Amino acid sequence: MMQLLTAQSVASFPVLNALIIVPVVGALVVVLLPNSRPELMRPVGAIFAAIAGAFSLYVMAEFSVQDPGFQLQSIQSWIPSLGINWHVGVDGISLWLVVLTGLITPIVLIAVDPHHDPKPYTAWLLLLQAGSFGAFLALDLFLFFVMFEIVLVPMYMLIGGWGYDDRRYAATKFFLYTMAGSALMLVAIISVATLSSGGQDITFNVIELAQRQALSTNTARLCFLAFVLAFVIKVPVVPVHTWLPDAHTQAPTAGSVVLAAVMLKLGTYGLLRFGLYLFPEASVWAAPTLATLGVIGVIYGAIVATMQKDLKRLVAYSSVAHMGFIVLGIFAFTTQSLEGGVLQMINHGLSTGALFLMVGMLYERRKTRAISELSGIQSAAPIFAGFFTVAMLSSIGVPGLNGFVGEFLVLIGSYETRRWWTVIAATGVILAALYLLWAYQRVFHGEPTADDEKTADLSLKEGLVLTPFLVGIVFLGVYPKPLLERIEPAVNNLISHLEDHSDYVQPDPGAPVVVERDHGSKDDH
Amino acid sequence: MSELLRSYLTVGIFGVAAIAMAGAMLTIARILRPSRPTRQKLIAYESGVDPVGGDWAQSQIRYYVFAVLFVLFDVEAVFIFPWATRLEVYGVFGLVEMAIFIFILLLGLFYAWRKGVLRWV
Amino acid sequence: MGSLQLVGFVGPSVNWWALLPQIILLGAALAVLLVSALAPQRASTVFTTVTTLCAALTSFVVALGLWSDVKADGPSSSIASAFGVDGFSIFFTVLILIGLATTALLSHGYLDREEMDPPEFHALLLCSAAGAIVMASANDLIVMFLGLEALSIGIYVMIAMHHRRSEARESAIKYFVLGAFSSAFLLYGIALTYGATGSTNLVHIRSYLDAVVFQDQHLLMAAMALLLVGLSFKVAAAPFHFWAPDVYQGAPSPVTGWMASIAKAAGFAALLRIFFAAFASHDVDWAPIVGALAVITLVIGSVMAILQTDIKRMLAFSSVSHAGYVLVAVHSASATGTSAALFYLFTYTLMVLGSFAIVGAMGPDDEHPLSRYTGLGRSRPVIAIGFTVLLLAQAGIPTTSGFIAKFQVIAAAVESESYFIAGVSMVTAVIGAFMYLRIVMAMYVVDEGEEGPRPIWHWTTSVVVLAAVGFTIIVGLVPQFLIEFARDAVPVLVRG
Repeated sequence: MMQLLTAQSVASFPVLNALIIVPVVGALVVVLLPNSRPELMRPVGAIFAAIAGAFSLYVMAEFSVQDPGFQLQSIQSWIPSLGINWHVGVDGISLWLVVLTGLITPIVLIAVDPHHDPKPYTAWLLLLQAGSFGAFLALDLFLFFVMFEIVLVPMYMLIGGWGYDDRRYAATKFFLYTMAGSALMLVAIISVATLSSGGQDITFNVIELAQRQALSTNTARLCFLAFVLAFVIKVPVVPVHTWLPDAHTQAPTAGSVVLAAVMLKLGTYGLLRFGLYLFPEASVWAAPTLATLGVIGVIYGAIVATMQKDLKRLVAYSSVAHMGFIVLGIFAFTTQSLEGGVLQMINHGLSTGALFLMVGMLYERRKTRAISELSGIQSAAPIFAGFFTVAMLSSIGVPGLNGFVGEFLVLIGSYETRRWWTVIAATGVILAALYLLWAYQRVFHGEPTADDEKTADLSLKEGLVLTPFLVGIVFLGVYPKPLLERIEPAVNNLISHLEDHSDYVQPDPGAPVVVERDHGSKDDH
Repeated sequence: MSELLRSYLTVGIFGVAAIAMAGAMLTIARILRPSRPTRQKLIAYESGVDPVGGDWAQSQIRYYVFAVLFVLFDVEAVFIFPWATRLEVYGVFGLVEMAIFIFILLLGLFYAWRKGVLRWV
Repeated sequence: MGSLQLVGFVGPSVNWWALLPQIILLGAALAVLLVSALAPQRASTVFTTVTTLCAALTSFVVALGLWSDVKADGPSSSIASAFGVDGFSIFFTVLILIGLATTALLSHGYLDREEMDPPEFHALLLCSAAGAIVMASANDLIVMFLGLEALSIGIYVMIAMHHRRSEARESAIKYFVLGAFSSAFLLYGIALTYGATGSTNLVHIRSYLDAVVFQDQHLLMAAMALLLVGLSFKVAAAPFHFWAPDVYQGAPSPVTGWMASIAKAAGFAALLRIFFAAFASHDVDWAPIVGALAVITLVIGSVMAILQTDIKRMLAFSSVSHAGYVLVAVHSASATGTSAALFYLFTYTLMVLGSFAIVGAMGPDDEHPLSRYTGLGRSRPVIAIGFTVLLLAQAGIPTTSGFIAKFQVIAAAVESESYFIAGVSMVTAVIGAFMYLRIVMAMYVVDEGEEGPRPIWHWTTSVVVLAAVGFTIIVGLVPQFLIEFARDAVPVLVRG
């Protein structure tokens, strides 16, 4: 494998391949460490995860701001008989997800103590990182599918091995749900590749398939639906979201954080990269339905979150709501809405990741996550409460923090093409304030009981672990330009691709009056 | 209806006819026959004599081994007879073939002998 | 006597090289029996195992020689076109020899543990392997039937060899009766084929069918149906699968592995040679039936698998659903589909042999409850991860050979525009995955303080499991070589 990947001499260092390989090597190293030294496992794993994280920062530094296409590409022949290549590349849409994956994993490895079996725990987390990198970087449909599926195994093992009481059910449900979604996607992948070949050699190259657009309208729509099914389950979009609360609640803290911050993004990223890019006409055709599902997710997630008794489940349902925003942004097809969607993926990773980490810390102290059993934590653990407040406000979308920028862009962008959807989704912001503030009030304010009094405040290590999240939250809230200027060319590129291959035309962003010129395609429904 | 399906239709009609005929015979018999079961009538029939013991009677296992060995060498004879009538035609080739055949069977006999199958204890 | 005219007998030309692999195996079988009969005390397991391994290795070398011949001179056939030497026959010879060596290694520890008689077991195994090779290479239906019987009779006895266990005898009787039943179907099909085409030789059948257009092809249709039924029994395809769970459960684990892998592979070899190669011009007639069988098999195999509580029964139904995947590939009636089927059989054989190696080593064969595996992930992490890899490979998770195999099967189905069947096979893969996950879950998800089992392993089992897992992962990552091998192994019918 190694030889295969490094065989081709690339002009520069094949950093994207290194991103995928380093964690795998790390996992092997951890597995080979002697069992008698359990304390070594996590530090060694964290070092490898951090090396991968450093590579992801190097990718960010190497990334050329103005280039809308795929950069740092690397192609190697993998299975020539089937026309499959190892093809990775990064563009403005995937860049920040890669950086997020690179940074979250080492933090999680440092932050969360698994309490037992540290060796497999570390190895699975590293493999999860490698698989996530692979899924975000893959430009070959086969490679993408491999990575998209393979991340299930480590997450399944993490939930099953280190989760809470109901972990068997949650892990199995998670695995089967996601696998069921991707089952038809594999058929669609092969169909797209076979039908697009048109007598030439079969290829799974995403760029080439997107350029060819060789499928008939109906076939493309069917294939698109198969892809969408896989992605909406992963996002998850209501009504196929039911695996998420169970998986999040039962997963160990590390699993929840990575699940929320990285794995859910595979769904929205997939919609952008493989939905919109490969099937522009079908995307426009299905956009009203999917945007509606996104909005339903926003409202439904918020309402259900309000009624949760378990703090972790509440955060899980808030994920459903936030991801609904992103889906709306993606299927509004304007520069701002797509930018907002991509940015919101990062924001959600930071804020929800931090919230899950802190809920985990609270559980470590109190062995409960029930909101009714917690009260007045603020007086016992003021710093903890402060950190929690910042992450929570970011999740609500308070101006000055990152959540605001993303949601604002999504709403302002979607308003141009999907006015009524946007109006309804905007109420989701208010509901988010409702359920998060109410939960905060019940847990952190009020009269502390004897147990609550003894709740320890953040330790230095925990504070250090959370700091990157908070720095990110504030930085992106105040100065999102570095991200947006890299996202924008890729997003504009995607929209012009959409315009080239369908009858959709983006309304002029500068024009004050919004003309819905894609009226015809909407009336199909 | 396509030619393919029509050709299967014949099979289907045969099947339906077979089931219908068997079913009709059983049904008619059931309707016509008087049914007055007694204990005597319900026991297994064995040449007019009341059966003795269960129906899973044991027999001596050694006969079984002999039966198997007999079948084996019977088959050998069946193969050798036609070969013998055309021996001249087959020549040396046939001789070698039959020698191999008999050798393998003898090996079986030898194995059975060594395993003590041929002894009547 | 004087009136009888003596005509010099001219036998068909025999390519002894081509027959050498199975002659070696049969010779080894006789040698094992002879030595065990002559030896003053009970022949040792080591001797028999080593003999079998040597025979397999020698045959393997001969098969490789034949492979280079075929590469250089093209396929040929021998003994009046009754025995084919092409990539297909050598592919299966190699596969069967790998299966033979694996089963011999697995039985090594097993025979000692269960106090079974090693020479007889190995002699039967060798005969069975020779039969399987004949079956895969036969270009004549009668020869194919001989191979099938040699394969099956060996298996009947091997199942029953565990004479102290009534389950083993029960499953032997079941397999024997149903096997004889299916053989009858097959024979009837052969007879009707002869009636329809005037030959039992596949080369002649092929050229006859290519040249002649039937006005009324009822006879041929009936022949194909009966052949299909007979072979479906052998490969355990639904609705002719019902013997599989009972027989797999009752048989000694190494024999179960042999049945699930090699008996199935040989059955598919016959199926492909008859239908894909000989009846190629009538694929419009048989392909839809095979497609329907594939769908039924996939659904029944995967749904029934998740209802089981016994590991061996689970794996039995999973092997039924795997037969369904191969049938999907056969259904496409194309060279792509056939090489996908070959690839699938090759990888599946290794997976299933490895799985039954672990199952057999976990404890006695009376029953294999799921609870026997509870906590294996903690007490024996290496075995558990190996088993996990094999199970996930059977579920078709990427980076294992099982995924590449499924991928090719789906690709073949898509290529022949059978989107429905492709969809069904992927959906049933998900249903089946639930069953594999249950086993994985049992191994890894344990409550605090629960201790896992510590089975006693013979080192030969470790070798087998290690090889199977290694092969599964390597083919999952770099499958190119096996894909090429399978592409070169599409059956060719040559008059010789």
